[in-house]
Amino acid sequence: MRVVIGEDEALLREGLAYVLNHGGFDVVASAGNGADLLRLARQHEPELVITDIRMPPGHTDEGLRAALQIRQLLPHTAIVVLSQHLQRQYAVELVAEQSAGVGYLLKQRIADIATFCGDLLRVCAGEIVLDPEVVLLMLTRARTEGHGVQRLTARQQEVLDLMAQGLNNAAIARRLLISEKAVVSHASHIYDELGLQTDDDSHRRVLAVLSHLNR
Amino acid sequence: MSFSWKSVMSGVRAPSMALILLAAAVVLTGGVEAALLAHDYDGPLFVVELFPVAGIIFAAAGLVAWERRPSNQLGAIMVVGGFAWLVAALVNTEVTVLEVAGTVLQTVALGVVIHLLLAFPSGKLQSRMTFATVVLAYFVCLVLQIPHYLFIPASSPGGLLAVADRPDLAAAAKWVQQGIGIAVVVSAAVILIGRLRRSSTQHRRVLGPLYVYGTGAVVFISFAPNVLRSLLGISAAATAALQITALIGVPVAFTVGLLAGGFARTSDLQQLGVWLGSTVTSRPPLLQALSRALGDESVQLAYWTAEQDGYVDGQGRPLEVPREGSGRNSALIEVGGRRVGAVFYDSVLIGNPELVRSAGRVVGIAVEQEWMTGELLASREALRLSSARIVAAGDRERRRIARDLHDGLQMQLVLLALEAQRLAGDPAASPSITVAATTLRLRIDAAAGELRKLVYDIMPAPLVERGLEAATRDLVDRMPLPTKLDLDVAGSIPESASSAAYFVIAEALANAVKHSGATGLVVRVGRSDDDIVVEVADNGIGGAAPGEGLGLRSLADRVGVLGGSLRIHSVAGGGTRVVAELPCGS
Repeated sequence: MRVVIGEDEALLREGLAYVLNHGGFDVVASAGNGADLLRLARQHEPELVITDIRMPPGHTDEGLRAALQIRQLLPHTAIVVLSQHLQRQYAVELVAEQSAGVGYLLKQRIADIATFCGDLLRVCAGEIVLDPEVVLLMLTRARTEGHGVQRLTARQQEVLDLMAQGLNNAAIARRLLISEKAVVSHASHIYDELGLQTDDDSHRRVLAVLSHLNR
Repeated sequence: MSFSWKSVMSGVRAPSMALILLAAAVVLTGGVEAALLAHDYDGPLFVVELFPVAGIIFAAAGLVAWERRPSNQLGAIMVVGGFAWLVAALVNTEVTVLEVAGTVLQTVALGVVIHLLLAFPSGKLQSRMTFATVVLAYFVCLVLQIPHYLFIPASSPGGLLAVADRPDLAAAAKWVQQGIGIAVVVSAAVILIGRLRRSSTQHRRVLGPLYVYGTGAVVFISFAPNVLRSLLGISAAATAALQITALIGVPVAFTVGLLAGGFARTSDLQQLGVWLGSTVTSRPPLLQALSRALGDESVQLAYWTAEQDGYVDGQGRPLEVPREGSGRNSALIEVGGRRVGAVFYDSVLIGNPELVRSAGRVVGIAVEQEWMTGELLASREALRLSSARIVAAGDRERRRIARDLHDGLQMQLVLLALEAQRLAGDPAASPSITVAATTLRLRIDAAAGELRKLVYDIMPAPLVERGLEAATRDLVDRMPLPTKLDLDVAGSIPESASSAAYFVIAEALANAVKHSGATGLVVRVGRSDDDIVVEVADNGIGGAAPGEGLGLRSLADRVGVLGGSLRIHSVAGGGTRVVAELPCGS
């Protein structure tokens, strides 16, 4: 699996390369700014691009903008953006419309090597992976604004949380230590309560849940 | 320096009632005279009736000038000329006593014209040469006229004034009179030409035609009998009519020149006093009031500064004291014996320095006050700018600290956690080490979480990365209460204004959540002209005092420094609304 990295801090770039090599990825190039990232991605056409949001020269959102451009130019490239601070707005921009193979994670998640590499593989497989923290932000906001979420039971809200993070039924069942059948039952209650269309496809389900939470 | 109100008021007092009575006296005298002449005279009546008419016009022009320019003596000179003319006209009556008076003052009108010419426009005779010329002119008209009726009995009404029948002496005296008369006219012409050369272009446009006309009238009247009557054979009546007409034009021309010749209307010092008493806000600028009081548009108000050891104008630019002979002069303004400034004025226009000094005394305290107000405003502005620099430096420092933490400590914590995890994942590690290392990694992650909150409070990433709009959205996303957001901020916003706006919103939201007991919030960010308007409203208990809480007060300071305003509307039971307006212009 070939990867291009966008990260301006040399030490962090090395740390990331270590994690990726450890997880069986092949780092083919790394860029220190948004323009280089775009150029290297077009040159290598990797399966995965991992980038920091804030990069030179402006130290604003150059990395995110480069990632969204790569997404347009090379639609089959999986994209994972990392940041020290998570915003609902960035997640909404990344998951816009029928996107697939997108991840948005806190930088700190790199350290949990196994989980991080697992998330990268899921993104490469076309799934959507959102950091638990940004999903928590979405759920809290939806509860406050009264999007129907507050009518769900605590367990149902837990299931919804994991669905929004991009997990499938099997993964949710493992995480909550319940049977996959129980997950399916919770999910159908959630659909009814939020007025979502039943969909067995887990990817389309994530998109539907996210669009409900962010409306 | 002596100071008497009498000297101030005598030059300026022009009670209109007195002037009205004076006008009535002129008209009455002229009317009686006209009736007398109509009754007595058997020659062509229109010529003799022109005399009282000329007298009335002379006096009328003088009264108008006197009323409009109370501090200028030109009007008074013309009124005197009018009376002299009315007396001179009596020579044509049949009443001997009146005829005598008329004979004596026959040619005084010419002297008055010379006087007017040399005293225009200030009303003062400003040099010895000028003074001597005018005295000589009156001497020619009054004294050198004496032999004419002394030695020619026919010229003396009823022979009353004649002492001998000596036409030879009278003729000789006439030659002397004409010779000195020419000398007077030449001297006056020299003085006037000199003045024209020294005067400004603006003054020259008024002075030139007046001087030419006045001098021309004197010459024409003096020599008209010789030229018109002797050489061209024009009748005595027609010659007299032409002489009178030429003379009538003189006071009219001078009054028009004085009032419309680019010299503003003179209000007197009392009006300046009224101006001082008016409220500060409605008061026209001091300089303007002074300029109107003195009738000199070129007047300059100079403020004394001890530190520069010189004068400056209202904008703080240095002012040179006028040199002698430059046509300008200066009058010191003192308050309690201490120099506070000076008035620089047109000495051609204003002949009486005492008038300017008096005006200076009247406005002295106002000058000092205005100067101190200026100093105060300047230091206040300097203070505001310095506070603005401090706030800007504070913002820069926040951004720098946030960035240093992002690039330094936050990154270090990622690497440290990674190191701990590597240790935990090392196949050679004992199970206890694996557990300890994993716990360490989780604690490092927790520390990183706390650091993220700290960085967010110092300078939130959305504000740095995308500006006010994104930062406000992010704030609202994190609100534990339903919060309506109304954002409409097109165009660029300076960093200082967007930081201030953000912190106002953040602080107001935090206060609302903590204290208001509200169930809903509204955040509005919009633009109004060059201002950015920020509003945070809640439906809580209200009753928040503007000075309450250090947070909002320091925000009010921050907003004030940018020249904006922060208002808090909070009625008990009616919710709280915080509105900040921040200028975004350069």
